[in-house]
Amino acid sequence: MNEFISAGLIGVSLGAQYALLALGFTLIFGILGVVNFAHGGFYVAGGYIAYGFVSHLGVPYVIAVLLATLATGAIGYLFELFLVERIVEDHLATLMLTLGLYLTMSTGVLVAFGPESPQFQFPISGSLQIGKFHLPIENIVVLSICLLAIATVYLLMYKTDFGRALRALADDRQVAAAQGLRPRLLFPLAFGVACGLAGLTGALVTPILSLAPHVGDPVLATSFLIVILGGLGSIGGATIAAFLVGLVEAYSSVYLGGSKGALALFVLVLIVLVVRPSGLFGREVRGA
Amino acid sequence: MLSIESLEVRYGGITALRGVSIDVKEGETVLLVGANGAGKSSLINAIIGVVPTCGGTIRFKGQDIGALSCDRRAKAGVGYSPEGRRVFPRMSVADNVLSGAFGLGRKRQQEAFDWLCEAFPILATRAHQPAGQLSGGEQQIVAFARAMSSYPPFLLLDEPFLGLAPVWIQRISDAIRQVQKRGTTILMTEQMARPALKLATRGYVMRGGEVRRSGSVAEIRDIALAEEYL
Repeated sequence: MNEFISAGLIGVSLGAQYALLALGFTLIFGILGVVNFAHGGFYVAGGYIAYGFVSHLGVPYVIAVLLATLATGAIGYLFELFLVERIVEDHLATLMLTLGLYLTMSTGVLVAFGPESPQFQFPISGSLQIGKFHLPIENIVVLSICLLAIATVYLLMYKTDFGRALRALADDRQVAAAQGLRPRLLFPLAFGVACGLAGLTGALVTPILSLAPHVGDPVLATSFLIVILGGLGSIGGATIAAFLVGLVEAYSSVYLGGSKGALALFVLVLIVLVVRPSGLFGREVRGA
Repeated sequence: MLSIESLEVRYGGITALRGVSIDVKEGETVLLVGANGAGKSSLINAIIGVVPTCGGTIRFKGQDIGALSCDRRAKAGVGYSPEGRRVFPRMSVADNVLSGAFGLGRKRQQEAFDWLCEAFPILATRAHQPAGQLSGGEQQIVAFARAMSSYPPFLLLDEPFLGLAPVWIQRISDAIRQVQKRGTTILMTEQMARPALKLATRGYVMRGGEVRRSGSVAEIRDIALAEEYL
């Protein structure tokens, strides 16, 4: 029973991290209709920017995480404003562009920091004992921040003018623009928010897991899988699917073992897609 | 308020508008009638800026808006209720309406919403329902309220009666009258000339991308009603 609950807690913690990543990915797809292959790159960039501030400039970790979030958000904003926005209606071109950015980012990190994983430790360690359970404090901190960030994204999307405008633009760009909503102002901001979320996740999670130039590859694959499972463009679907994937990964790795666990995840996705090809909460995809 | 001179619109090799000139004065309700393919929607789309023009000028309140983006034309005061309603289907009725009042500030948005709910009570009763679940007539009210939520001095209504039952045509007509009383200038396209003529002060009859006739409602009534059957 203890094993079951411990695995559940790890699953929730993993799910929160995945949700933060997948929210950014699905926001960009849902609002702009762009599959952002550079999403994993922003995760890596967030990790390395935080690492750079902490290790080379002696900045406290909390400030470094904030700076990494802002920096990745700013890169995303500028990338959308000057490059993606010009070709946003051409899905193949945006796909190639974001893939190109990802390769540029991961190669740039490789050149700047080398291929080895740097020593980047989470500043707090130890565990919290609740009854019979020992919970790593770093996981609790990351989980809390992820949940806070997820709640903030929800408030932003469903309780603000900005979120309402983005949802309107996602539904019908032409009509929304004719109501005075400015895609050229709002799309780069949305892209910036989404990339900032990836950067935040990278800065928070890489000190616990690992930091290397190519850790963005599995991140991109997992984000993609979650977003497809939840339904492309669905914010709620991505969040639920992220926790589902986190729990399946945790339980299957405990009860089935590593490789069988990964297999279990793909089997789950396969079953869901056979039953519901548009994902758990899928909807019609915005046209070009 | 709106002055269009010699407007030309082409889709590839097809000419949709050929030297169209129309004039809408402040406080008027001007009707564009014509059969399918007459060029009414192309003209509306050119005014809101979703279709590029290849000749002519569009002046709004004395300013040439031909080079402005779609959103800037809306901010300049051009309200738009599209053909087929095109509400944001997954968003609530309240969010649909308030999306038209982006950037006005919470206080003015709430004032606009309260005013619109008073004018169209259905907005209040269905405020939290997804707009895509409403009937066609209800969606038309939502699209109409969305266009009016920023208090535009000028409103473009593209086929507001399209596909509606007679009871809803009457309700939409009443809604248009309410907006007229506020002094809003309206340019309206409609294939169903009969109910639209009751609301208009002047009109233009279009055919084949050209204005064939213009004048007061009395002057264009016969040809407008004939076009209805084409």
